[in-house]
Amino acid sequence: MKKIAVITCLILSFLFIYLLQVNFFLWFNLAGIKPNLIVILVLTIGLFAGKGIGTTFGILFGISLDFFIGKSIGISGIMLGIIGFIGGYLDKNFSKDSRVTMITMITIATVIYEIGIVLLNYFIHQAQINIIYFIEVLLVELIFNAIITIIIYPIIMKLGYKMEECFKENKILTRYF
Amino acid sequence: MNKKRSGMAGIIITIIFLVILVFISNLKLSQFSYIENAFSNLIMPIQSGITFIKNKLAGNDQFFATMDVLKEENTQLKQRNIQLEESLRQLEIIQAENSTLKEYLNLTDKYKGYKTVPAYVINKDISNYSRIYVINVGTDNGVKENMTVIAAEGLVGHIISTTKDTAKVQLLIDSSNVVSSTLENSKDNVICRGTLDENTLRATYVSTDTVLTEGEKLHTSGMGGIYPKGIYIGVIKTINETKNITDRSFIVETAVDFENLEAVLVITNE
Repeated sequence: MKKIAVITCLILSFLFIYLLQVNFFLWFNLAGIKPNLIVILVLTIGLFAGKGIGTTFGILFGISLDFFIGKSIGISGIMLGIIGFIGGYLDKNFSKDSRVTMITMITIATVIYEIGIVLLNYFIHQAQINIIYFIEVLLVELIFNAIITIIIYPIIMKLGYKMEECFKENKILTRYF
Repeated sequence: MNKKRSGMAGIIITIIFLVILVFISNLKLSQFSYIENAFSNLIMPIQSGITFIKNKLAGNDQFFATMDVLKEENTQLKQRNIQLEESLRQLEIIQAENSTLKEYLNLTDKYKGYKTVPAYVINKDISNYSRIYVINVGTDNGVKENMTVIAAEGLVGHIISTTKDTAKVQLLIDSSNVVSSTLENSKDNVICRGTLDENTLRATYVSTDTVLTEGEKLHTSGMGGIYPKGIYIGVIKTINETKNITDRSFIVETAVDFENLEAVLVITNE
């Protein structure tokens, strides 16, 4: 029962973030560059709920993103799945209780995601992109993402521990003792 | 130390003052009409009292003798005013109608040869590395994949997928979009590719004997099978001359302002 509630909450937050990206960040942006909140969401799921669930939700959200607004089905699906997996992997090695590690992890995830997206687009759609322009945009996006992470960090932790309680009930003891 | 501190305070006060100044200078006065009203309510009774006394003292009393005549005239004038205002409103409506009709006429005149479906942009891309818009027409309106999308100013892009009542448009400035185009003066063909940058394309494969001039217009060449011939793309903005003349390129500024694009037309006949 609790699981269903948490899953519904995750899906609702995905839809909310999507609408935010489509409407709010179209005018609230840094030099026309939008942040990427969906990466933050999927990484958080991976970090708190584990590899399996992170990957599943990543692929699910990615494919729905591709359906909503994408050139072909699967590119965001693959990349967000990878991000969810990375989240699960990072959970074992890093602490989530520090704001700085959280920001670092989100930055790394965003870099991996965007590079992956651009490479996949290059191979699938022959999308050629100016490397200097790409780096410029990526830097601004990273700064934007970091600022947003600082702001929403308390919310991430609150939701994250709810998720952890729900999905990793038996493992929680081995982690802390 | 003290001097330093007071200097710091001065700077801070100046900054705050400047910020307030900028803030105030951007305020619209009409937003504060209630404050204006309150002030006038406060001042006006006193003002009329003073005027009354002044008139009494100056002997302007005969003013009241003609009061009745003036009142009558006033009502007449008020009625006339209402009539005039009404006709003015009607004129304004006609004017607005006229301008929109003219716009439609221009749009359809420009692309007379094509059968088009009008559409609105209803969704924009969330990624920083691709440019895709969703429009509010789909297969129900006869829109199919690979159809060309144009706006009043020129070429917008082509449709990459459709649903029953929406369609995704890949814009000209998307990095995977390529369009073969013709230079207006030399009639030479070049390949324009999106750069993701605001309203610019990068043109390559420029023939070695082509003479390029800034401001020259580009149209679609009709090659490639997606875009019909002769749709306006934009003008040459900057030319990148390289040491080796075979790989020179130039930047094209698109005619369409993609940031503020709202209404588009989909060409439905091939």
